[in-house]
Amino acid sequence: MTQAESSAATTGRDLRAPFGLALVALACIAPLFLGNYPLHAIIIALIFLLPAHGLNLLLGYTGLLSLAQAAFFGIGAYTSALLAVHFGTPFYLNFLAAGLVTGAIAAPLGIPALRLRSTSFVMCTLGFVIIGQAIAKNWISLTRGDMGLAAIPKPYFALGPASFTVSGTVGFYYLVLAIAVLATLAVYLIVRSPAGRNMIAIRENETLAESVGIPTWHYKLVVFMISAAFAGLGGSLYAHYLTVVSPLTFQMYYSTTMLIIVLGGGAGTISGVIFGSLLFVGLTEALRIAPELRMIAYGFFLLGLVFWFPNGFAPLIGRLSSFLEKRK
Amino acid sequence: MFYTIIEQVVNGIVSGSVYAIVAVGMTMIFGVLRAINFAHGEYYMLGTFGAWFAIEHFDLPYPVAIVIGVVATAVIAVVVGNFVMQRIVGAPAEAGVLATLGVALILQNTVILVFGGSYKFFSGGYIEPVTLFGFTLAEQRILIIIVGLIVFVGLELMVTYSRIGKAMRAVSQNIECCAVVGIDVRHVALWTFILGAALAGLSGVLTAPVNVSVYGGMGELITFKTLPIIIMGGLGNVRGTFVAAMILGIAESLVATYVGLQFRDTVGFATLMLVLMWRPHGLFSAQARF
Amino acid sequence: MSGLPILDISGLCKSYGAVRAVDSVDLHVGRGEICGLIGPNGSGKSTFFDCVTGLAKPSAGAVKLDGQDITGWSLNDIARQGRILRSFQKTVVFSALDIEENLVIAGQMFTFPGILSTFGIGAAARNRVAALRERARELIKIAGLWDVRFQPAGKLSGGQQKLIQFASMLMPEPKIILLDEPMAGINPKLIERVVDSIRLANTSFGVSFLIIEHNIDVVTSLCKRVVVLDQGRKLAEGTPGEIVQNQAVREAYLGG
Repeated sequence: MTQAESSAATTGRDLRAPFGLALVALACIAPLFLGNYPLHAIIIALIFLLPAHGLNLLLGYTGLLSLAQAAFFGIGAYTSALLAVHFGTPFYLNFLAAGLVTGAIAAPLGIPALRLRSTSFVMCTLGFVIIGQAIAKNWISLTRGDMGLAAIPKPYFALGPASFTVSGTVGFYYLVLAIAVLATLAVYLIVRSPAGRNMIAIRENETLAESVGIPTWHYKLVVFMISAAFAGLGGSLYAHYLTVVSPLTFQMYYSTTMLIIVLGGGAGTISGVIFGSLLFVGLTEALRIAPELRMIAYGFFLLGLVFWFPNGFAPLIGRLSSFLEKRK
Repeated sequence: MFYTIIEQVVNGIVSGSVYAIVAVGMTMIFGVLRAINFAHGEYYMLGTFGAWFAIEHFDLPYPVAIVIGVVATAVIAVVVGNFVMQRIVGAPAEAGVLATLGVALILQNTVILVFGGSYKFFSGGYIEPVTLFGFTLAEQRILIIIVGLIVFVGLELMVTYSRIGKAMRAVSQNIECCAVVGIDVRHVALWTFILGAALAGLSGVLTAPVNVSVYGGMGELITFKTLPIIIMGGLGNVRGTFVAAMILGIAESLVATYVGLQFRDTVGFATLMLVLMWRPHGLFSAQARF
Repeated sequence: MSGLPILDISGLCKSYGAVRAVDSVDLHVGRGEICGLIGPNGSGKSTFFDCVTGLAKPSAGAVKLDGQDITGWSLNDIARQGRILRSFQKTVVFSALDIEENLVIAGQMFTFPGILSTFGIGAAARNRVAALRERARELIKIAGLWDVRFQPAGKLSGGQQKLIQFASMLMPEPKIILLDEPMAGINPKLIERVVDSIRLANTSFGVSFLIIEHNIDVVTSLCKRVVVLDQGRKLAEGTPGEIVQNQAVREAYLGG
């Protein structure tokens, strides 16, 4: 491990392993001293962490701005909901299906989209969300249109004769926590792999990356699909938690939220995204801030990101990171 | 049957004019700032709200309300232009996307916070029907078409003959040279933006009597309709955008009648997606042309 | 140094409309040879490189790399082989990354068979990366950049960045490297270092070189053989000593 790898802002290495483990341990015992409403806030934050991780891989590491996360979030939510409502399948099936279906759909969408220049690409990704909502509203035989799908059963696991249903906020909290930890681990492995290094190369200088043999277009497609899958998995959790999905799951507001989590927390860092999700989604949810005020705050934050602090909270987190490193 | 089609086409021309007034503003802003203004629809909304407020709370007549709506929008545009839009000049594309997204969130939600999220009723406007060539149309709709034409002709004249118009053309064609020949790029950018936003506000005020309902979130839909128009008309290309707007208006009208009303609002983006996937450079020349 | 030339170009032509940028040029570079390509400005040298490495499609002629016909191949296809690499006049590095990262990235796609394998987390992948790091560190030492190896590449001087670019090209263990004016814009003190690096790469790693260069001293000290282009055509070929005395060459430089 080189010293340079320890600067979290460029390669995203999370060195705060003991610190991280301590946080996870803390999270595990949180239900002992947190009431249901704060737990709910953390659940929402962790649910949004998944699509945020996906967007971070796409934007933070590969440098591709996309507004499509809400579309894949919605596809994942509906996939899970449909399976659960029509077939009563166990949770892990719905969950995995959501990820696989979303990742698969991302391929035919990404192939033409990635040929576009950056402005058109952003428009195209926005289009996915809009078209997604239109399909959800109008394919009534499948989605029940504006009425949406309700009474999605609580997640249950079945292994042979034994079955176990997750009910109650605390139960769901542990489920989401486990999934969030696994997802973060997966992202960490991707980022540390040679592929992660290539993604960063593409972000830093695409032409140079091409000239050293990196097939940039293929990487963008693969990352686009992985990013979509993460969003789909998040959508699946969302569907099971709210027990309702509707065309409103496809709204640009979600894409904007995920954008703020990634950019505000610190694009290209894993700890930044976790922090971002807890701050922008968890905290605002916990404080019961009115949605309008929240969005106004988001708006000002976006302006701040553009003009004053392009790295979001990353520098602060970076300082904490190096502080912890020296302590070891 | 034939009569119905003509009627729908006329309706389409009306909505096309509405879109055109909004879209030419957005495309001009792109031409000069090289930024897609995600907040553009909000200025449409602000114009509507300004007029609505004037009528509701001060009982002013509609013509005065039009002026107030446009002025209110322009004032806000001055603020946004100075603090945000001017700083985007020369910045990478992503900066414009994020900044205008931020502005959109702020404008939209501030209005909802101040005036409440409920739908408001817009009273006022020339809603008396008039019969021309066997067609019955509300007077307002005719007004919209007329204003649309005036705006188009006015812009053409301004861009060709006026000093600021020529400066706009220069900036949109070659921004680096402009500083050298003494054009204050940020100044031009600011005024182009204010003009574009004011046009959007004007469109909102004119359409309000026809749409009747006014609510804080109405701008977003307009933004989503205008984006496909300016891309397919050619970013920065005013004439192409005008034509694309008309085509969209008519297409929407026909789709609403013959395919289904629920698909009307998707026509724009659906067409854009098809075009982007098959002809990535749009239908018209993408050269910034005024 | 015998047998098949590593790079064998015959009758290469490139026309842009009516302009013949490259006119029927034959050139070969032997294994382990350092060959120079000189000529007045506008004689078609860079275009020649473009045609050989896939940035431009030749209008006519053949390019054979180690016996394999690569005429008209795309830039990416040629680059991905890792056998022939080309530098650019403008030095580009990954500015935010340190030298070792720059080099490892430069070598990765030549070690890993495909995209999917780069996502690997097993021992195989880690070993490959470790081997790349080893090689990278070796090259950093050779280039004399060991002391600054943790700095972001963008913060280093132009000459140091040139060395990084050069080291990047050695990562895939190429057979031949095409250098396009490697000494341009380099501090005279560093020129000796770059020349030594080229020579070292040639003798230690057996890499052949074809170098476009204007600095006659560098050409004389490095190149065994020199080819002269003028207005797209090959004017002369021989040892540096012969070329310097060639009448036609002197006229081309002075008269052209």
